[in-house]
Amino acid sequence: MSLMIAVRIARRELRGGLKGFRVFLACLALGVAAIAGVGSVRDAIQTGIASEGATILGGDAKLTFTYRYADPEERAWIEGASDRVSEVVDFRSMAVVGAGQSAERGLTQIKAVDGEYPIYGAPILAPDIPLADVFAGDGDLPGAAMDPVLIERLGLSIGEVFRLGTQDFVLMSALVREPDSATGGFALGPRTLVQTAALDNAGLLAPGTLFETEYRLALSESANLDALSEAAETALSGSGVRWQDRRNGAPGVTEFVDRLASFLVLVGLAGLAVGGVGVAAAVRAYLWEKTAVIAVLKTLGAESRTVFQTYLLQIGALALIGILVGVALGGVIPVLFEPVIAARLPLPVDIRIYPAALAEAALYGALATMVFTMWPLARTEDVRATTLFRDQALGIRRLPRSIWIVLTVGALVVLVAVAALLSGLIALTVWTALGLLGAFAALLLAAMGVRRLAGRLARSKAFRGPTGLRHALGSVGGPGGEATSVVLSLGLGLTVLATIGQIDANLRGAIARDLPEVAPSFFVVDIQTDQLQPLRDFLGSDDRVTDVQSAPMLRGIITRINGEEARSVAGDHWVLEGDRGITYSTAQPENAVVTDGAWWPEDYAGPPLVSFASEEGAELGLELGDLLTINVLGRDIVAEVANFREVDFSTAGIGFILSMNASALAGAPHSHIATIYGDASADAAILRGVSETFPNVTAIRVRDAIDRVSEILAGIAAAVTYGALATLVTGAVVLVGTAAAGERARTYEAAILKTLGASRGDILVNFALRSAILGAAAGFVAVVAGMAAGWGVMTFVMETDYIFEPVSALAIVLGGLLLTLLAGVVFAWRPLAARPATVLRAQE
Amino acid sequence: MPEPILSLEDVHLTLEGNAGPVEILKGVSLDVNAGETVGLVGPSGSGKSSLLMIMGGLERATSGRVTAMGQDLSPMNEDALARFRRDRMGIVFQSFHLIPTMTALENVATPLELAGAPNAFDRAREELSVVGLSDRTGHYPAQLSGGEQQRVALARAAAPRPKILLADEPTGNLDSVNGRAIMDLLFGLRDRHGATLVLVTHAPELAQRCDRVVTLHDGEVAIQAEPRAAE
Repeated sequence: MSLMIAVRIARRELRGGLKGFRVFLACLALGVAAIAGVGSVRDAIQTGIASEGATILGGDAKLTFTYRYADPEERAWIEGASDRVSEVVDFRSMAVVGAGQSAERGLTQIKAVDGEYPIYGAPILAPDIPLADVFAGDGDLPGAAMDPVLIERLGLSIGEVFRLGTQDFVLMSALVREPDSATGGFALGPRTLVQTAALDNAGLLAPGTLFETEYRLALSESANLDALSEAAETALSGSGVRWQDRRNGAPGVTEFVDRLASFLVLVGLAGLAVGGVGVAAAVRAYLWEKTAVIAVLKTLGAESRTVFQTYLLQIGALALIGILVGVALGGVIPVLFEPVIAARLPLPVDIRIYPAALAEAALYGALATMVFTMWPLARTEDVRATTLFRDQALGIRRLPRSIWIVLTVGALVVLVAVAALLSGLIALTVWTALGLLGAFAALLLAAMGVRRLAGRLARSKAFRGPTGLRHALGSVGGPGGEATSVVLSLGLGLTVLATIGQIDANLRGAIARDLPEVAPSFFVVDIQTDQLQPLRDFLGSDDRVTDVQSAPMLRGIITRINGEEARSVAGDHWVLEGDRGITYSTAQPENAVVTDGAWWPEDYAGPPLVSFASEEGAELGLELGDLLTINVLGRDIVAEVANFREVDFSTAGIGFILSMNASALAGAPHSHIATIYGDASADAAILRGVSETFPNVTAIRVRDAIDRVSEILAGIAAAVTYGALATLVTGAVVLVGTAAAGERARTYEAAILKTLGASRGDILVNFALRSAILGAAAGFVAVVAGMAAGWGVMTFVMETDYIFEPVSALAIVLGGLLLTLLAGVVFAWRPLAARPATVLRAQE
Repeated sequence: MPEPILSLEDVHLTLEGNAGPVEILKGVSLDVNAGETVGLVGPSGSGKSSLLMIMGGLERATSGRVTAMGQDLSPMNEDALARFRRDRMGIVFQSFHLIPTMTALENVATPLELAGAPNAFDRAREELSVVGLSDRTGHYPAQLSGGEQQRVALARAAAPRPKILLADEPTGNLDSVNGRAIMDLLFGLRDRHGATLVLVTHAPELAQRCDRVVTLHDGEVAIQAEPRAAE
């Protein structure tokens, strides 16, 4: 009965229109739209990858061998199991144009293919010529296609010649897009596509060279992938082969997209929290305006429950509108911008409406509404009929009844739990929630502090002179000011931006700034054993080269620990993912610090022993004497853990997780890796000399690799910054709402000031100053919170030093100041224009 | 001797103001009989409106006993008081206090709906016609003149047929012509339904029409007399 009446009264109340709820709706819609948009794009990528799984993978299934081709027996099994097979060899090398001083060199990731390539899809080439024509080349020389980025870097044109190893190729076409590449922009070297047969005389694929061979299988639609995967496991057991199939064509990318999207959803939730401030303020203002109506209803005999239900229904209906608008925007915007999104992503995307993503956003919106409106709604209980006669402030409790506090906290816990479950990033979600709560508390305290300080300063003798500033300080510090609302809404948005700014700058700074002091200039790979001494001699002749370190290098996969499948023993540790570099040595290297166990004697020739990196060994739960089965070049080697040693990867020097005794590996075909330390001015000469004298080896300039990693980090930071900007936009909406809500009070104030003789200029200065004070305070708190978060992430997550980054911090303080100043000045217009007599008469 | 419909015994009211506690009523004792019309007069700040609020259960006495229709209002909570008013009292304010988002008809129907009356809107329409506003039922408060708004407020107060009508300076915001019309209506409603009327007023001609006039001064009952004697 009570509910039916509440429905009727609520309906009548809502006929008053949405006035006063524009900020409420905008905040909710923006927050929900951001989350719905991110979720939709995430689902679009996942669906795209899933539906194009076979194309991205290059076949229905793929078997990858490290360092070697499949032997005839393995090849026979593969051919027997599939309709068609394509063999693709993937490795890094140098592309060289010209010779001598003027030669241009660039690191490239070569994809060498056979006649069956590609099994699915087709590359996009410019000019668009058949792939067969690309490989046919021109005259006697074979042809190739190359990533436009590398073409540009080498200054090549179509029809010109470049060299891989000792083989010349004609550039026939630019490789705009590969059908079977889900890593697109993430590789260190841009792609060059050639035919494997054309590399016969290039001298690049010698035994021991670091390369991967992929066998892409075409299978019938009805093929049982599970059964085939198991069969491959049995038939190729112990060969170190890796199986992938179309069901998950790009696991790494899917995971990356998933993580980034989850993180962006968390940023979106931060936006919703900022919006929540606006939502709460709007509900509070609305109910404040409705105080008389509530009192009348109570006078007429309405019980508290009926009144609460009446306003709950109204807020619920408005929230529904806000959420629906947000869901519609978040669903439609990706569809409208499909061409832009598809062009920017190196992945297939299937953009359409994804109900699950929209439902997720709507759920967050509903929960956030509950969290932020329950408290103000509970205040309807405190409005008594006597309010009609007497000031509202009399008899109002400071806190609502405990049931409402419990319900609010409960809704918050559910919100965080849902976010944690749906994102899968439980720890990050909890930390984000705690961070936001901390930021909320800090901002509330800051607002309180700013008010107190401003009030005190306004009364101090020092400010007796400048009237405008004293008035502004007095207003910020006085009752009914906007300090809390402005500092909270703007501060939270700026805090998210400041945090990203500090973390991003520190991450990039740590890579770019800290490494050069200790890092080598070059990594050189694929050095054949007989090239090692000549290379050392060659480098030794250059004074600018200060040090050359080298180590034999193979690659292998840890398959078993003490006879048990490695992952079942130690879980999904990165060391067990794919193949790892392995080295060997007779004597204990100078820089190797053994933490447990002992190094083997120099003349040791017994069963294989392994020295394991101590930190990773501890993470895997390894102990001295454990037996590791390591598959190297298809052969299983069972080695006993003889010792643990410290490996410091932060120096960017040569660091191996696994180091074995020489006799265990020396017989296997392998190459060497070297690091070259020296003056940066020698880089060009070293690169030229090494690649001309040893055309098969690949020199990777560390500076280039750092730049590439920095680029990728910048891309991620940009994506997150866009997310954070949505938060700031929401904050700005709240700010505008606050400024608009205070307009009536400012009009009255301006009228009195004018009556007392203040000019419009004086009043504008007064209003602008108070805005600036609040904006600067919000920016300052945001920077401090951003510093704290940045310090936490760098210290505890990245385990490196934190350095305060002043540029983004200054930009944020200034940005906060300008935003509030702008809102303050815009909303000062009407108060300044109003005639004092009219305003004052209306107040009587 | 019939039992009074409203009875106040040694009622005190002290409120916390910004400058400390303020004693508004200082031991008021007053009985109002069923069907009686009582005018509360006195200078501003004498406690008239506060006394009316206490009678309506809108304000809680700091001490003393308030009985309405034989029920002690003191132990009732906010909701119990709301239900009591819904079923037995009608209140008219100086500032009308109509709900701005509701039409005249809806404003009048609301207390009936709250009371669960089955034909709330028909009855509301009748009440509006009694106060001469049958052609204004669909108008919002902002579309009505002050006099019309007060007539809606009267209709709203009278609609549930309350046994007690409380009016706080119902003509205070109206010109003399409208004020007289409202008073005619108010007394007419009282006569028609036989309700008890307690009226706060500054207007002497209004006090004249009451059976009894109670003059308050500084929170205390100064004089209780028939109208002429109170002057």
